[in-house]
Amino acid sequence: MTLTRRDFTAGLAVGITAPYVIGSARAQGATIKIGMCVPVTGPAAEQGLWAQNGAKLALAAVNKAGGVLGKQVELVIEDDQTTNPGIVLAFSKLAAQSDIVGFLGSIRSTQVHAMAPDVLKLGKPVMIGGTDPALTHMGNQWLFRFRPNDSYSGRVIADYGVNTLGKKKWAIVHSTDAFGTAGGKALASALEKLGTPAVLDQGYANQSQDFTPVVLAVKQSGADVLGTYFTFENDLGIFARQLRQLGVNIPWVGSPSVVAVSSTKLAGPALFGTYGVADYAEDSSEASKSFGKAYRDAYKTAPDNQSAWPYDALTILSAAINKAGSTDPVKIREAILATKKFAGAEGEYNFDQNGDGLHGYNVVRNEKGTIVYDKHIDFND
Amino acid sequence: MDLALQLLFTGIGIGAVYALVALGFVLIFRATNVVNFAQGEFSMVAAYLMVVFAVDLGWPYWLSFLLALAGMALLGAIFNLGVYYPLRHRTFLPVIIATIGASILLANSVLAIYGPQPQVLEGWFDTPGIQLGPVYLDSQYLLIIAVTIVLVIFNYWFFEHTMLGKKLQATSQDKEMASLLGISVSTMIMITFIYSAVLGGLAGILVAPVLFVSIQMGSTIALKAFAATIIGGFGDVAGAIIGGLALGIIETFGAAYISVPYKDGFAFLVLVAFLIFRPQGIFGERVAEKA
Amino acid sequence: MSAPSDNMPIAVSAPRTRPLLLRHLPYFIGAAVLVALAATMQFDGYILNILMEATTFAIAVFGLSVVLGLCGQINLAQAAFFGLGAYAVGIGTSDYHLSYWFCIAGGCILALLAGALLGMSTLRLGGHYLAMVTISFQQIVTLVMINTIWLTHGPDGVSNIGRPDLFTSAQSYLAFCVAMLALVGYAVWHLSDTRLGRAMRAVRDNELAAGVVGIDVFRTKVSAFALSAVLGGLAGGLFAGGFAYVSPDQFSFAESVVFLTMSLLGGVASPIGSAIGTGLLILIPEWLRFLKSVPGLYLAIYGLSVILIIRYMPDGIWGFVNLATARWRAKARVHAAGLALLLKPATIGGNIVLEVKGLAKYFGGLKAVDDVDIEVRRGGVHALIGPNGSGKTTTLNVLSGLYKATAGRVILDGTDVTDMPPHQRAAAGLGRTFQNIRLFRSMTALENVVIGAERPGNTLLGNGGDALTERAMSALTFVGLGVRANELISSFSYGHQRLIEIARALAANPTLLLLDEPAAGLNSSEKMELHELLKRIAAQGLTILIIDHDMTLVSEAAQHITVLNFGRRIADGESMAVLRHPDVVSAYLGTD
Repeated sequence: MTLTRRDFTAGLAVGITAPYVIGSARAQGATIKIGMCVPVTGPAAEQGLWAQNGAKLALAAVNKAGGVLGKQVELVIEDDQTTNPGIVLAFSKLAAQSDIVGFLGSIRSTQVHAMAPDVLKLGKPVMIGGTDPALTHMGNQWLFRFRPNDSYSGRVIADYGVNTLGKKKWAIVHSTDAFGTAGGKALASALEKLGTPAVLDQGYANQSQDFTPVVLAVKQSGADVLGTYFTFENDLGIFARQLRQLGVNIPWVGSPSVVAVSSTKLAGPALFGTYGVADYAEDSSEASKSFGKAYRDAYKTAPDNQSAWPYDALTILSAAINKAGSTDPVKIREAILATKKFAGAEGEYNFDQNGDGLHGYNVVRNEKGTIVYDKHIDFND
Repeated sequence: MDLALQLLFTGIGIGAVYALVALGFVLIFRATNVVNFAQGEFSMVAAYLMVVFAVDLGWPYWLSFLLALAGMALLGAIFNLGVYYPLRHRTFLPVIIATIGASILLANSVLAIYGPQPQVLEGWFDTPGIQLGPVYLDSQYLLIIAVTIVLVIFNYWFFEHTMLGKKLQATSQDKEMASLLGISVSTMIMITFIYSAVLGGLAGILVAPVLFVSIQMGSTIALKAFAATIIGGFGDVAGAIIGGLALGIIETFGAAYISVPYKDGFAFLVLVAFLIFRPQGIFGERVAEKA
Repeated sequence: MSAPSDNMPIAVSAPRTRPLLLRHLPYFIGAAVLVALAATMQFDGYILNILMEATTFAIAVFGLSVVLGLCGQINLAQAAFFGLGAYAVGIGTSDYHLSYWFCIAGGCILALLAGALLGMSTLRLGGHYLAMVTISFQQIVTLVMINTIWLTHGPDGVSNIGRPDLFTSAQSYLAFCVAMLALVGYAVWHLSDTRLGRAMRAVRDNELAAGVVGIDVFRTKVSAFALSAVLGGLAGGLFAGGFAYVSPDQFSFAESVVFLTMSLLGGVASPIGSAIGTGLLILIPEWLRFLKSVPGLYLAIYGLSVILIIRYMPDGIWGFVNLATARWRAKARVHAAGLALLLKPATIGGNIVLEVKGLAKYFGGLKAVDDVDIEVRRGGVHALIGPNGSGKTTTLNVLSGLYKATAGRVILDGTDVTDMPPHQRAAAGLGRTFQNIRLFRSMTALENVVIGAERPGNTLLGNGGDALTERAMSALTFVGLGVRANELISSFSYGHQRLIEIARALAANPTLLLLDEPAAGLNSSEKMELHELLKRIAAQGLTILIIDHDMTLVSEAAQHITVLNFGRRIADGESMAVLRHPDVVSAYLGTD
């Protein structure tokens, strides 16, 4: 058998390109890709890791159950560096891969704001955890929220304090960042609706080394209940300690950071007896319990909202694609919005037309260092 | 009035922290004429060393404390050899930038090793504080204030009454003259870096129980301490202490009576005002006229 | 009046250089190609974002190359200026629906004002103060962005930022930004060869000498700072349009450090370096993403690199490349030897060019100069002598304005200059050299002398761009160094550097020339040359006040001598008589 030069060249060409062809065929055909922007670096790198854990847990479950549209699901992770420019770059990198059918965005509202124009341009569904109410009310139909937004956390805090604890004189302390400001506003307006406007509304800047002036302002206001929106756990820890040292022992109902694992560890006894709203509470439902068990089995640590929402998001997105029967963005969107009474780790999902899946919070209590479930408050509007 | 007293105590406590870090700035500045932008990271690294020794390894507090300070001495020496010494003949600009680089390096190395989660370090005392009439005195702040006072006295004694201190003084005032007198200038600069790193570390260890141990703890304190240094008059030890205390008090009262969110702004506004109206600081920088 | 001197009268007519714009045609063609590429190539969103970021950041880094590279002043608030421009465009177009052009112009003006005010308040201090003040400004701007929610939306940031109607698509807007980059790059590239640019470099190289040759040091620094701020503002405005969203964390202190590092990495002195540094620092983090899986690791390496760059590549990548290729690049741009140097000292006052009355300078309790009178007659060489520590150099420093007189008056050619800063005295006709030579060391001999020739009030400058070079060449030729005009200062011997310093003073056509120990450190043949040179200068009628220890030089060159001892005048008069004065003899030889 003689080998002509032509054969040889052709063979060579095939030999060189074959791995690429096969590789790209596998990339395009064999899996359904879902992109995820998450902090791998920067201040929230650790929370980013938890989020990845949650998403991967859901991924394993989905793939075990047969995947999506008969294919395995693949998660493509990009680092958002915990910054706004970072997430814009990360998202644009993912958006450039045309075979990615849906995305998991950020838990940080400012980051979602930053990427929102690009999301609108791309026109594919993006699951988010940012809780600024405006995100789903600014005409961007591609954002779907998997945590209750801050208007609900404010309402739950106010409702629990006024109706359950029976307290009427409120002091609000909130961070002046996006999360704290939006939350503080939501709580203030919820209190006004209940006819008990706050007697103090005090902002503070993140990474303050001392909270004495804030604590004294709370003390002087004569408030009998405290509502807080803290962003960073070490700020919360310093505040909690100084609050107790200066003799303020009024009931305290706060945003999720009050009952976060790391705050409990940092502040110790200073946070005993406080109440926090939590979108994820392990004992709040059967679905929450089973997620908690799976998470503990896989990672040997306690789950929290950072890992719960990506778990739900990936689960619901996969289910929606299956229901839509295609990867067409419009159809996926309709399928997500049609999701009702879905028992997720975060709660029962009933999507509204804005893209908000959850409409209430759990209230949990710090019982000498352990977080125990207290009650769930849901709203219908 | 009770309110003002409480604020005053807190202001002095936080001001003493600034003062301790400012002291490290001043010593290095006097010896080398450069500003060490990594001074705050010294505090942060020392606090993490404490966490490693006292919490993770569970060694006795006093042993961990000594080991952490020894570690800081080593870090100061490495810092001098790696960052300052090779650039000693260049202008202040490259040195400043190199120290900024060093600060990024230190902060992120710790982040890479230890992760972003803030850590808890218990204080020296079991009692968290004392209620004195209407004022609550945090025991850790009391300790910080006491250490600051001791250090002021120690520095005075050291620089005015010991041979080593006098040699260091001579070096900081006139390097040429010092070397003519047979003082090894590079040794003196080495000692200065080691001493400032230990001082910065001490500040970090003292403040850690109050602020928790985090990557950012150093840089936020250092910026204020630096402002305190300028307000006090660059290169003046007493000035740094008073500048630090003044800043702590202004900040605390400003936050209480004017605006909490702008708390960090007060320090810088005061600083800018000083630079415009009294650039030589409270005590005045000794500026030699040279042509 | 002096006759034209007869030294080296070579006056070859220079070949007309092509007009500037024509010579730089390749640059503009290159820029046009880039703009066209930016407008037409199909980029995906990710590449487009990276290019947009690189383009706008590079403009801000150009600003740093002006303030840090050209003028040697630190600015740790470039991200704040960047932010001012970005917020002006953001808030203006999104909330108030103003025209993009109006907003970006407003942003530039805002940055300019902030930069100028900040500069004016602190640039007299310089050094570490400037570093601190710029950091403070940076922090305050960040705080305002976060906390004035009614205006800036606080930490939410501003979204839906508009673009100009002409460039609504991302691609065309990128092309617009690239075009702006090319224009700004061109301006910054050529700034260093303008009068302002030379002044900035002079201030960076040697502040004292810059003042003495007639440069308003403070104004130059403020200009550099303000210019840098404007470029920051412009870049920010472009950035806001490009990304349609801005928030406070994009303009934090950390970003200022990033800008600074970009500038240092590429090479602080040149816009090409800035562009290289910016490109690398935007791309490297993308390439090194794998390092980022461990939080902090990437930034730790970044911090380490900053230290290493500073230590091993002080002039950045571009400076490194420049140095490496300098040998085979060494282009011989030969300037025609200038016309014979003409010196035409102004003659406004009477017979006395310099009148010093009751001059005193105390340093604390030390009376360095006390009640000294000097009268320097027009057209002669006047020597000021005295033993070490007698106050000669202090007197000279008071005369040239480096020290402020404690008491007394200084009248130069009829003008009272006692309260003037150095650059105004230079404008009034005073020239000087320094005992420890103060040349602008990063520049060529010619550039040094050109800066001298640029003295405000130099009446001997013709019109046109080449007049300066001609004048400078004449001066260099006059001291015998015309053929080495384009060499860097560092390649000259000590003696030749002294001659260049004299040429720099002569090119300014001063009314009075102060020479501070010109013979110090010269060997005997160099001293002979110097002596000859002084004669040729004097022959043109320029008045010289000289300080020197070399009695031979002084006694041969000077017609008139003033003697100082312990800060006081002990003798004054005709040379030979003064040198025989018993007090002078005892002051020099010592008495018991």
